[in-house]
Amino acid sequence: MDIFIQQMVNGLTIGSLYALVALGYTMVYGVMRLINFAHGDLVAMSAFVGLTVYTQIFGENITSLVAVITVFVFTAAIVALVGVLLERLAYRPLRTAPRLSAVVSALGAGLVIQNSVMLIWGPNMKIFPSNIFPSTIWSFGGVVITFTQVMILGLSSILMVGLYFFINRTKIGTAIRAVAIDQDAAKLMGINVNRIIMIIFVIGSALGAVAGLFIGVYYRGVTFDMGWMYGLNAFVAAIMGGIGNIPGAMLGGLMLGLFNAMITGYISSQWAETFTFVLLIVILVFRPTGILGEKVAEKV
Amino acid sequence: MMNKTSMIALVLLLISGVYPFFVDSAWLAIGTTFLVFSCVAFSQDIILGRAGVFHMGHAMFFGLGAYTTAIMNVQFGLPILASWAPAVLIPMFVAFVLAGPIIHLRGDYLLVATIGFNIIFIQVLENDVFGLTGGPNGIFGIDVVRLFGFEFASQTYMYYMAFILLGITLFIMRTLDRSKFGRAMFYINKDEIAAQSMGVSVRYYKLYAFIIGAGIAGAAGSMFSVQYSAVSPEAFDVTQSIMFFTIVLVGGSASLPGVLIGTFIMFVLPEVFREFETARYLVFGLAMILTMILRPRGIWPVRFGNIPNFLKKDVK
Repeated sequence: MDIFIQQMVNGLTIGSLYALVALGYTMVYGVMRLINFAHGDLVAMSAFVGLTVYTQIFGENITSLVAVITVFVFTAAIVALVGVLLERLAYRPLRTAPRLSAVVSALGAGLVIQNSVMLIWGPNMKIFPSNIFPSTIWSFGGVVITFTQVMILGLSSILMVGLYFFINRTKIGTAIRAVAIDQDAAKLMGINVNRIIMIIFVIGSALGAVAGLFIGVYYRGVTFDMGWMYGLNAFVAAIMGGIGNIPGAMLGGLMLGLFNAMITGYISSQWAETFTFVLLIVILVFRPTGILGEKVAEKV
Repeated sequence: MMNKTSMIALVLLLISGVYPFFVDSAWLAIGTTFLVFSCVAFSQDIILGRAGVFHMGHAMFFGLGAYTTAIMNVQFGLPILASWAPAVLIPMFVAFVLAGPIIHLRGDYLLVATIGFNIIFIQVLENDVFGLTGGPNGIFGIDVVRLFGFEFASQTYMYYMAFILLGITLFIMRTLDRSKFGRAMFYINKDEIAAQSMGVSVRYYKLYAFIIGAGIAGAAGSMFSVQYSAVSPEAFDVTQSIMFFTIVLVGGSASLPGVLIGTFIMFVLPEVFREFETARYLVFGLAMILTMILRPRGIWPVRFGNIPNFLKKDVK
């Protein structure tokens, strides 16, 4: 039973990271019908940017709330800027092109980001300092929860709830939903579609940046090519929940994290990805548009 | 009278026919692999470019063919010739079984599901199921083709075998284009809902394209394993699938010259620029973005699909 609860805690931690990344995929897909294959590499990049910001500004050995907040805000800002540039340079020229052209452009953009990271920070694994968060540990019986896990769960819940209210209760959120349903109609209603898409990329990239930083803090070792696997898992999570559907991405992320942790804990980590995709395919066979259904208007 | 296209085709045919006599062994091997990859790219084009099925796991079928030949030859001691039919039929069967339940999914879902198949395939190979696949190292020491006591062992033979394979592939593509199947696929690709309401069974033809594509990729895989006399999982992973996917879209989907150009750009050019090891893929990514922005339908897009000339005249 202890193992089960421990794996559940670990699974929820990883799951909320998947959910943060999945939100970036699902929002871009909802508005542009584009699988943003470069998103995973943005996540990997943010881990490296965060590490550099941390060591350059604060040195190796400082644990303070101010430092952590600065690193998160700074990294999120830089990565959001890269995300906006990405949309501007690689996706906007292709908005009227056949859909698969934009997919190739996204794959190319992913290559560019991944290899830029390799050229700037080198091909070797970089290690995050262990003292970014205090190493406090709580144990309940045999179950251990670290301070980092609490931070990850806490902050990502806050971000997700905040995003939910932002999308559903604010004027910009309403505009985002309108653009997702019908771009042309939204334009006629006076919504600046380009600006909405820019906001989508800012939010998505910033959430991805937070996830990337947490990946660095939690696993400590980061490599330039880790984005592909995190990105793919997160995208699978977005599809499981129903693409274009924001609560769906959250649900899918948490579910996939839990499922992964259970497979790793009880069966074998060697087959983790196989089980992930078997689960995805089973879900798609029985619910072709994900668990909560997609929120994407199909044009006939 | 010969038109410009068939002139270019003839010149290319002549050049590729005498190519082995003018290059060293490294470039001969690249030439052979180019021909093999072209076959795979054409089979990807049947699925992606013609039937319009978003398929990003094609390296799996390529790998299935390669591993069928390798396992039959090395683990069971059968001759290469005996493995040719299974190397085509097994990928076709697997395509039928895997794609059957998911072929009705919409584009992007299918894309991720096929990536999933490829990842599962790689994990099966790496975890050495049944002790047949050799794990992460793969299988070494695959035999050459033997027929009536004659060995087709030299790289030049390999080149011409790949050449013949490409010829067969092109013949199949041509036959497809001029058949009911080809027309149905083009229709589905242009407008799935219209095709369905005209009584074209979308599911049947998509599955048909998938199975044919898998078979051709399997044959190419068998050739590939004989050429390098070894197979290993990383030659068939998702990165490779993405390459085949990109080849078709960068070259121009459903366009024969387009797919050849695509293969050349995505496979031969990186070999030429091997010295610029580190910056190579950065430039590559930039080139992918630029190509798509400047030529969204590919470098050599197909015109009008295959509308016969007498129809086009009326439109004017």
